[in-house]
Amino acid sequence: VTRSRAEEVEGLLRRLAPQVLAALARRHGQFDACEDAIQEALLAASRQWPDQGIPDKPRAWLTAVATRRLIEEIRADRARRAREDAAVEPEERHEPAPDEWQTAQSDDTLTLLFLCCHPALTPPSQIALTLRAVGGLTTRQIASAFLVPDATMAQRISRAKQTIKASGLTFDRPAETERAERLRAVRHVLYLVFNEGYTTTAGPELQRVELAEEAIRLTWMLHRLMPTDGETNGLLALMLLTHARRAARVSSDGMLIPLADQDRDLWDRRAIAEGVALVEQALATSPIGPYQLQAAIAAVHAEADSTDDTDWRQILSLYTLLIRLAPNPVFALNRAVAVAMADGAAAGLAELAAIEGDERLAGHHRVEAVRAHMLELAGDRARAASAYRAASRLSTSLPEQRYLESRAAAL
Amino acid sequence: MKYMLLIYDNADTRRLFFGPEGKALSEEIDALMAELTASGELIGGEALADPAQTRSIRPEDGMPVVTDGPLAETKEHFGGYLIVDCETPERATEIASRWPNARFVAMEVRPIMNVGGGQEM
Repeated sequence: VTRSRAEEVEGLLRRLAPQVLAALARRHGQFDACEDAIQEALLAASRQWPDQGIPDKPRAWLTAVATRRLIEEIRADRARRAREDAAVEPEERHEPAPDEWQTAQSDDTLTLLFLCCHPALTPPSQIALTLRAVGGLTTRQIASAFLVPDATMAQRISRAKQTIKASGLTFDRPAETERAERLRAVRHVLYLVFNEGYTTTAGPELQRVELAEEAIRLTWMLHRLMPTDGETNGLLALMLLTHARRAARVSSDGMLIPLADQDRDLWDRRAIAEGVALVEQALATSPIGPYQLQAAIAAVHAEADSTDDTDWRQILSLYTLLIRLAPNPVFALNRAVAVAMADGAAAGLAELAAIEGDERLAGHHRVEAVRAHMLELAGDRARAASAYRAASRLSTSLPEQRYLESRAAAL
Repeated sequence: MKYMLLIYDNADTRRLFFGPEGKALSEEIDALMAELTASGELIGGEALADPAQTRSIRPEDGMPVVTDGPLAETKEHFGGYLIVDCETPERATEIASRWPNARFVAMEVRPIMNVGGGQEM
């Protein structure tokens, strides 16, 4: 079996997984049992298809195998209950024709996303379940992407499914009144997956699912399901514009490279063009929102040839708007950087002094890193070096520490 | 974010765990471990043997030299650890505060370094 054949099978399975699961859950309810059944069908397919070839109707194949598995499980469950309870009521047989396929798939996939990101679930459970049920990843792949043991990730998934069952959540579209809020939750889960991928992996990690790419793939899917939703497009644009820098953000020896020093020829121009088009379209046609503004800021960076060439005044006004819309101390910190770049280091340091009292920033290494950068701009080398060292002690990332120590040493 | 919860013992804790209160303490730990397993926060953990079994390796003239016993004789010693993956440092601290040793000796909570990533500035 060639590697490309196995990859082709995996790609196909992961595209089909949410569709088959959604259809099964819509017909039978019992989301947790359906999810188990799909996983077994996917496993069977990933063993058989690379050797035996992809069946003519792969989706029908998966549906049939998963349905058979589900029925076996339901029967076993009934038999168990019958043994436990002598006075069991006769129940109707529940055996659908496996090749029946209903459309309305896009609606189904959306319903599936809403269920996996339901606010009753904890964020780690939402993330794990979304990656498995919608992303079609195995528990082992998700565990290795998050650097946790398989048993820990399996527990998060099973807890998510138990919560769905215990809370009586069903595979139904949320009411119109809840929709905006639920969609916000879906976007947030996708954002968290992207962020995890972006901040925990530097450079290519073979044998590991790339979470940032997976988040982009799922957000493209969400975008296709609701092409005119401004914030979804803003989120997708933000991911594309950020991920476009991946080849430039780490040196060959694993050193983080700051935006100012990145070789911009390495930026992915196609991803930038896609991101810019998406965010421009969203800003022109939808109510403005935090993801669109963050994407717009990323777009200003993406379109500049260098830091000197960057329109910092525009970035500053975008941050000002962003903070008004979504107050957040990390955005405020980024805004202080924009102040320093637009109006000089002294103005930036004054802005930093005004915001750093926020207790949510207490002990955050970025506060010291920003201070160090501003002091360096101001020419205060001694205090800049000590702020870089303070930032390094507060960071929990080795590549970040290495970068901050190197800045301190260069002063 | 992953944290190591460092569990400290002293000469009395082992006696405490093997004494009349031992059963209640073990049940307390079992319940907390079950909670962390169910929540998907538990990554792992181990208990260490008595510090009398320690061997220390220290440099002498730039060469490693092995001696029996811990680096320093202290009242409190490192007795074992848990690794948890929590959403907030407050949650990790809460778990450590509920471990029985927090009432008898000490616990420490320390973030675990991320070796592969980081955010460009």
